[in-house]
Amino acid sequence: MERDTLQEDTQLGKAVVRLNAKLLGIVTGLLLGIGLFLATVFLVLKGGPDPGVHLGLLSQFFPGYKVTYLGSFIGFGYAFLTGYLIGVVLGAVYNKVARI
Amino acid sequence: MEILPKTRVELRLRVHLGPHVVEDLTTPAQHATLPAPVLLAFAPLHRMALGVAAGVVYGGIMFLLTEILVLKGGYPLGPNLALFGEFFYGYTVSFTGGFVGLAWGFGIGFMLGWGFAVVHNLVIWVWLVIIRSQAEMEQYGDFLDHM
Repeated sequence: MERDTLQEDTQLGKAVVRLNAKLLGIVTGLLLGIGLFLATVFLVLKGGPDPGVHLGLLSQFFPGYKVTYLGSFIGFGYAFLTGYLIGVVLGAVYNKVARI
Repeated sequence: MEILPKTRVELRLRVHLGPHVVEDLTTPAQHATLPAPVLLAFAPLHRMALGVAAGVVYGGIMFLLTEILVLKGGYPLGPNLALFGEFFYGYTVSFTGGFVGLAWGFGIGFMLGWGFAVVHNLVIWVWLVIIRSQAEMEQYGDFLDHM
């Protein structure tokens, strides 16, 4: 029993998790996309004289993005793409380094 | 020495004389490799790899954000992004500042990724210890029921 446990520990010690880069990209993209979508819609619903002054600064990097209902969908697209790239790069670099 | 009682529990005893194991009843067949799903469930994350990957991503983001604003130009140049300079010593929204941001971003990202992997592996290890303890308790509990 003790030896089995030790052998399992050794096997687990040698094993390393591999990441599915594309899946990680989709998950990260969805998280960022939905996050920005909800943040934008929340600010639009809250209203006020100049809603989302700070969130609107994202238009510096995401052309066409505004804190409006339409902007929330544009923001979703941009954020999904950004998150997808982040996830894919993260997964690819991780797998590459883990293989060394 | 092997005792096979009427119970379903098979007792395997090792006789120790000093530091040497005299009798080892476990057979090679019992040391089969762990099935792939088990390895997949309990395998740890590669700390260094996740650190480097997170560092590359975070450093790359800092670099790209800075250089995009530099290329776009205007005055003042990236007043909000420049606030990172409060935490990242030497960082400014300029062409060279992009490289400073890259270095800082890589460092911070590496620490975050490495730390995440350490905590992840620690949780997996604790989970494994709990599962093993529960399995042993069930085994010995069954044995004691038949005493």
